[in-house]
Amino acid sequence: MAGRGVKLEQDKKEILKRGIHELPAPESFAVPSRFPPVKGEPDPKRILRAAEAAGIRSETDGVPLRDLLRSLAEQKTTLLAARCFDDDPFAAGEQAVLRESPEKVADGLALAAQACGAEETLIAAASRAEVRLLSARKIPAAAVAAGNRSPADFFLLQSLRRSGKNAALLGAQACAALSDAVREGKPAVEAVVTVAGNAVSKPGNYRVRIGMPLSLLLEFCGADRRAQFVSVGTALGGHSVLNLNMPVGFSTRCITVLKKPPLRREFACVRCGRCTTACPVGVVPWLVHRELESGPPEPLLLFHVGECIGCRACSAVCPSGIDLAGEVRRAALTKEGGRSV
Amino acid sequence: MILRDAAPPFTREGPCVRSMLGWTLFALFILLVVPTVRYGPRPVTMACAAMLTCLLCELLANLLRTGRFFVTDPSPLVTGMVCVMLMPLNAPLWLPCAAGAFAILIAKAPFGPFGRTPFNPAAAGVAFTALCWPSLVFTYFDPSQPYVLPAFGPCVFREGQSAAAVLKDGLKPDILPLDLLWNPIAGPLASGLALVVAAGGLLLFLSGSAHWEPTAFFLGVTALLAALFPRIACSPLTSVKYELLSGSLLFCAVFMVSNPVCEPRSRTGRCIYGALAGALLMVFRYFGQYEQGAVFAVLAADAVSPLLSAAVEHLRGWEAKAHE
Ligand code: SF4
Ligand code: SF4
Repeated sequence: MAGRGVKLEQDKKEILKRGIHELPAPESFAVPSRFPPVKGEPDPKRILRAAEAAGIRSETDGVPLRDLLRSLAEQKTTLLAARCFDDDPFAAGEQAVLRESPEKVADGLALAAQACGAEETLIAAASRAEVRLLSARKIPAAAVAAGNRSPADFFLLQSLRRSGKNAALLGAQACAALSDAVREGKPAVEAVVTVAGNAVSKPGNYRVRIGMPLSLLLEFCGADRRAQFVSVGTALGGHSVLNLNMPVGFSTRCITVLKKPPLRREFACVRCGRCTTACPVGVVPWLVHRELESGPPEPLLLFHVGECIGCRACSAVCPSGIDLAGEVRRAALTKEGGRSV
Repeated sequence: MILRDAAPPFTREGPCVRSMLGWTLFALFILLVVPTVRYGPRPVTMACAAMLTCLLCELLANLLRTGRFFVTDPSPLVTGMVCVMLMPLNAPLWLPCAAGAFAILIAKAPFGPFGRTPFNPAAAGVAFTALCWPSLVFTYFDPSQPYVLPAFGPCVFREGQSAAAVLKDGLKPDILPLDLLWNPIAGPLASGLALVVAAGGLLLFLSGSAHWEPTAFFLGVTALLAALFPRIACSPLTSVKYELLSGSLLFCAVFMVSNPVCEPRSRTGRCIYGALAGALLMVFRYFGQYEQGAVFAVLAADAVSPLLSAAVEHLRGWEAKAHE
């Protein structure tokens, strides 16, 4: 039985109110040169060429947009939805891009759908309020509110697929960049990154040049020099950073700067069953934990682990602080290869 | 910046083990207020003595197990408080301490740290004292007299009969059921505090520190059995009121049966666990030697809990599917 995911407390109202701050590119960075925009009516080939020329990558996983659209075409995608929600307590880049230029997102989405052969498009907004905002601005695209439980993209795709659509998601930033590339010949050299956390004095959404070192960005945001923890990516799926020379990439999305690292003490499983209620694909994480704990696991007893989507909802709800997602991943490897962990 | 490493997730939802225990402890502390106001500082000294004993036993157990002197969580304090709540206030101070020491050293420590205990340690501790010193555990002072009990020394008191003992004798207690909600009555410390216990339960359930299902099913089954088979000549509703509000039943329903550590993990399992504990409690009340059977019922249900878990896993086909 699949679970309900996890509802994460959101803390980004203020960040969203302030819009997107443009940060100047470092002086050593070359001025990006434009290329000729698509003339006349764009067709799939021209759109894909423009995506390639602009160097657009998906902000979700960093995959080049051209490759992504080609694979969506191969999968015979029938509905393409713009992912305009962030599914994270701090990250707000996708939502901010939609608020800033909904027309561009809708246009880019329509172009992407044309390129991959999807007949329908949909704007997946963060909430009903965002959907109302879109209709108030008369955006000519169907819109829906993504749920407020994480992994929201998984639940959204699941509900769309249940209604018979072969649906896929594309990030709002990639959509806007595609519109820019096709209509204006603008290369994709920037990303919208949310900088948040209790050790930054100017949290917000920043439009940053790709390749800019994190240290420079954090300096702009007034990061406290005594901060002990920086993470890149979402709160559930991100990773900690130890070297601030790391460059901003397409999939950086969110940088969290904290005074102290979020260390968790691990206790024994207290049998609350929350992990099972949270898992969206029906893994029973405590069962996996019990198997791994009681010596070398029997691969055949690692139930459903191959279906894990790595959303970390189970780890986020576990009151004992057990790295259940990590254990399920290890168990999946064991089951796949018959190896012991 | 000197940066430190950490593993995701960097956020969490819901309570953590420490907050769950913290809420439980808070709810238990609230229960001390009324008796302290009524009878003086003895409830507080008793609670402090039992908690300190449990803490020292936990430290000792950790020292023996790992060679280090540490405590990771407030669970020994919770165990100490629960032991006190199930004792009469006139009991010698060493009695809840003995219950706490047994709970930690015999019922908890051999199985590992918090979370691995197969039995509710406090229930085991109280059962131990009930078996060894029944006259001390089941002798209560008469609270209708205006008493201020000494903080430390032995109590001189006039004996009173608890509602549970009167019911055990097949008689109708000389108290209105509504008095059991709030008024001082002879019995363990937590008896006569039904309203405060209920408020504590609400706090635990709303904060996500305990499961409501076992408590609901425990109370449901005890109420049903009390209505179907009244021990005294009265209407089913009166029987239900007396049975639910007498002794430590309500306290056990909220603070012991809902303890997630010993319950099955699935909701179905938890419902069956609660119902089983309720049925066992009524069996102990009908046929047992002691007026208080709640801790024995909790221990028996804990013993069956792994079997219930396995049965639910089997019925849900988890094992079968695992072999697909
Ligand atoms: S990480 Fe895997 S096991 Fe954990 S909730 Fe997500 S899908 Fe389920
Ligand atoms: S959430 Fe954690 S503590 Fe609760 S059952 Fe799952 S593994 Fe055990």
